[in-house]
This record gives sequence, C-alpha cells and structure tokens, in this order.
Amino acid sequence: MGKVVHSNIENYKSLLKNYIANQDEQSLYGVDMVSKSFLKNNILPEEIVNLHIQVLQELYPDLSEDIKHSMDFLLEAMISYGIKQQEIQTLKEQQMAIKSEISVAASMQETLLKADIPSIDGLEIGAISVPAHQMNGDYYHFVKGKNGTLGLAIADVIGKGIPAALCMSMIKYAIDSYPEESMAPKMILENLNRVVERNVDSSMFITMIYAQYLPQSRRLIFSSAGHEPGYYYNKANDRFEELKTKGLALGVLPDVQYQEYRVDLDQDDMVIFLTDGVTECREEGQFIEVDEVLDVIKRFKDHPAQEIVNQVYKHFERLQGFQLRDDFTLIILRKKV
Amino acid sequence: MEPQTSCVTIQKEWDIVGARHVARDMARSLGFSTVDQARIATAVSELARNIYLYAKKGQIYFDIIDSVDRKGMNIKVIDSGPGIEDIGEVMQDGFSTSGGLGAGLPGVKRLMDEFDIESEKGVGTVIYVKKWVR
Amino acid sequence: MELSIHLTEKNNSLVIHLSGEIDAYTAPQLKERLLPLTKQNGTLIKVDMEAVQYMDSTGLGVFISALKSTKENNSKMKLIHIDERVYRVFKITGLDEIMDLEPRNKVERRNG
Repeated sequence: MGKVVHSNIENYKSLLKNYIANQDEQSLYGVDMVSKSFLKNNILPEEIVNLHIQVLQELYPDLSEDIKHSMDFLLEAMISYGIKQQEIQTLKEQQMAIKSEISVAASMQETLLKADIPSIDGLEIGAISVPAHQMNGDYYHFVKGKNGTLGLAIADVIGKGIPAALCMSMIKYAIDSYPEESMAPKMILENLNRVVERNVDSSMFITMIYAQYLPQSRRLIFSSAGHEPGYYYNKANDRFEELKTKGLALGVLPDVQYQEYRVDLDQDDMVIFLTDGVTECREEGQFIEVDEVLDVIKRFKDHPAQEIVNQVYKHFERLQGFQLRDDFTLIILRKKV
Repeated sequence: MEPQTSCVTIQKEWDIVGARHVARDMARSLGFSTVDQARIATAVSELARNIYLYAKKGQIYFDIIDSVDRKGMNIKVIDSGPGIEDIGEVMQDGFSTSGGLGAGLPGVKRLMDEFDIESEKGVGTVIYVKKWVR
Repeated sequence: MELSIHLTEKNNSLVIHLSGEIDAYTAPQLKERLLPLTKQNGTLIKVDMEAVQYMDSTGLGVFISALKSTKENNSKMKLIHIDERVYRVFKITGLDEIMDLEPRNKVERRNG
C-alpha cells in the first residue's frame, strides 16, 4: 500500500504543477484518477490537504505565511470528515455481512417452506408466491391425505422481512405436526391460533385460509382466519363470486372458534385464493381493485392453472414497475374431469 | 524543557479550547506531524465536550511517554458523571449520530492509536488514549 | 407519507387525532404514543381516524397490541370516523367483531 500511495503522491505533485501552469483538463482527469486511488487505499481527507500543503511549499518556497495558515486551517476542518469516512467504511462492511447472512437465511427459508404441488384426482392446481424483499412473509402449503384429499393453507404474516419469515417457519412446523387427514379446517385454525397467540409478539398476527378438497364429493371445505376473501368462478354463468367468510385473524385472542364454509365444484369451476399483497399493492397511489385481478384471470381462463397465476403475477409486476411492495401469493384450483 | 505532565479541568465550554491547546502544544513538542497534531487535538476536543455536555465536570491528564524505542502521548480523562450503561452500544458506529453521553467515542478511537474505557453507572467514566509518534 | 398525531384531553377521556397514512414507516410512531396511554387504568381513549385514508396490516398490528393492553390494564379504546377502505381491513381480519369501531357517517360527509 505504501508504494501505491507514494507513487500517487508523486503523481499528485506533477499533476498539480501541470495544472497551475496550463489549467488543462487532462490534469483534472488525472487528479480524478488519483483521488479514486486514494479512496481505495483509505487515504483520509486531512492527509490529502497535508499533501497539498507539502507540494505547495515545494513549488513555492516563498509561499506567504497567510496562505500556509489558511491551509492548516483547512486541514483541521477535514478531520471530522476523515472520521466519518472511516465510519462509513465500517458500516459498509457490516452491511455486506448482514446482506450475505440474509441471503443465506432466505435460501434456508426457501428450502424449509418449499411446497410441492401434489397431483389430486380431478383437480388442477396453480400456485405462485413471490416475496417483495428477500424473505417471504406469505406462505402456502399443500398436503395430500391418504384418502386422496387435498389440504391447502394460504397465509399472510403482518409485515415483511425477517420477523414475518421467522413466524412463517413456526406456522409450517405447527401444521406439519398435525395428523393432517383427521383434521378439519376449523380445527387446524383453532389450534394454530393458540400457537400464534402464545408465541408471537403482541403486534404480530397472521391471516390464513385453510381448505380441504374432497375429490369424491367434489367439495371444497374451508375456514378463514381474517384472510382476504377467496373467489369462486362459476363456469356455467362465467361469473366470479366472492367467498364470504368470517373469522378472526390468528394471534389476536387466545380462544377463537372458526366456521366452516363449503363450495361444490363442477367441471372447469375455479377457486381463487390470494394474499392482500395482490390487492393492496398501489400504483401511483391508486389501489388495485380485486376486479382487475379477476379480469386478468378471466382473460387467461383457457390456459393451464399455473399459466394463469404466472400471467397475473406478470401483469402486477409490470403495474408496479417491477418493484413489488408486498409479498404476492396467488393460488388457483380448477375442477377437471 | 516541556513539562512531562499537565492536567486540565473541564467545567465550562471555554475549557474545551484550553484542553485542545495543551494537547496540540504537547503533540508539537513531541514531534508529531501536523496531521497527527490535528487528530490529537480533535480527539481531546471530543472527550472534553463529552465531559462538558454530560458529566458537567472532569479532568484530562496529559503525559509524555519517552522510552528508548518510542515516543508518544498518554491521555487520561476522568469524570464523575452519570456513567455509560452499555459501552458496547456507544462504541458502535452509527450510534454517535444519536448524541448523548459517549457520543463520538468511535471517532476518538479512530483518531488515536490505543483506546480503553471503564465506566460505571452513577459513578463515572475513565477513558485512556495513546498516540505514538511515527 | 407522514402521520401526525395530536392528543387532546376532554373531561376524563383522551382523544388522539390521527392524520395521514398508517404503514410500516409510521406505525412505530403510533405505537409509541398509543401504548403508554392504554396502560393507564380506567381511561377511555378515542382514536379519531377522520384524516386517515390508508392503513396497512402493520397499522392493524398496532391497534391489536393496544387492544390487548387495554384488556390487561382495564382501559378502553374506541376508534371513530373510520374511512370505508380502512374499515374494510378491520372487517376482513374479523377485528370489527371484537373492537369498538365507528365508521364514518356517509350521509354526514355528503352533506358536509
């Protein structure tokens, strides 16, 4: 390092000499290069002022005392900038370390929460979940019961980032610990509510829909814990209906009872579940209405379910200028033969 | 012959200037470079300001270290102010911007070669710093 | 967006006037002001939402933790003049059934 600095000092001297003689742009370009090299080597501003003073004295042995004093004054004024420069350097290094920790955590979360889409007789499933930042506070989960039923959870943890992601991992393991096929949606939510209420900070809460599909009866049974309503697409009349539900978000009160709702699916009927990241995203201060989501779904309704959810995501990603403000999760179930 | 030891009492804002003055004179006589003189004066200024703003009263002791192999300056700052509860926190970068007792200590540590601190809540704080002539 | 918080006291009841947006950035501010008030035994706190046009789930979290605190400390909280869109968030999450909420009076607003 000493060598680099020394050659730069020499360089600075000759550039300054040149510039004083010619006021040429080339010298200014040169000093720009030198200052970049100083920065890289962590040379502080007061040292540069000091260098300048030395060079001036070399070039002008008869330099006036007033000018000398003024340069010393400038040097003094630079000390605090030097401290800040070092502080910023340290903070930058810390930030890099945190960033890499988060990216490790994010990939761990991805592995932990990985949800494979099972194949269920007579049901087509499309699902997408994209975090706004590195860590996802949305979550979906599918499980195939022994008797061919499908269990489905879609959830949204308040807030974003690491706290939300930690919370989601807890939910996943709680759900995994339940003997799935024997549990009805309302039971699952009631149990989860107790887990969340006991273990999570008082200002955190989770909204969730838990649904069970029974292939034999083509029936979808579901319960909602304060979650954004789902939609039912009726192929026969080509219309969407809101699936009206009641139920308190998880983690607010210790003992909560949930209601069960049902919808029977005919050929090509769809059920749509989403998180509020889909509807709460605002573009230019305008709220995106859920109708817009349904319009896009309708436009692509003849495509495979996975293709539809991908298209809706693409649409909103573009609307938001490719910068998601909230985690985005969308699931479509479609009855097939 | 420069005195080997000096002590400055900090109580008024004007005393900060006095402490800077003593620090710079001693640094100059020891042969510190202009840049290092400025750094020592700034460090002392920061420490004296901390006393003035938060501890109300304290002393700064200046000692010359003159051994066979090296020369340097030893500064000890003592106050009987409120003390610092979490030293780890005030030594963190970015904390200094929030002000309060101990603000600017990471900067002092950077300006000097050696830094040590002891503090007890309700009793006071002692800070030791050194800088060597290069 | 900013959130401004003004506190007025009227014969034994506190009114907090909020104005702006309650989101991840402004929610901590609201929490800092609101929570200590809920810890005073027997107080009634009215939160005037007249000038709040937007609230996200982080804001909801603040009101949930304030609600829990009122139960622990025997105080009461009521939210008044809630905008329709903001009210929807309370309704979806089921909080409208366990909290004392008063939506904005539409007729009054049309005439005003």
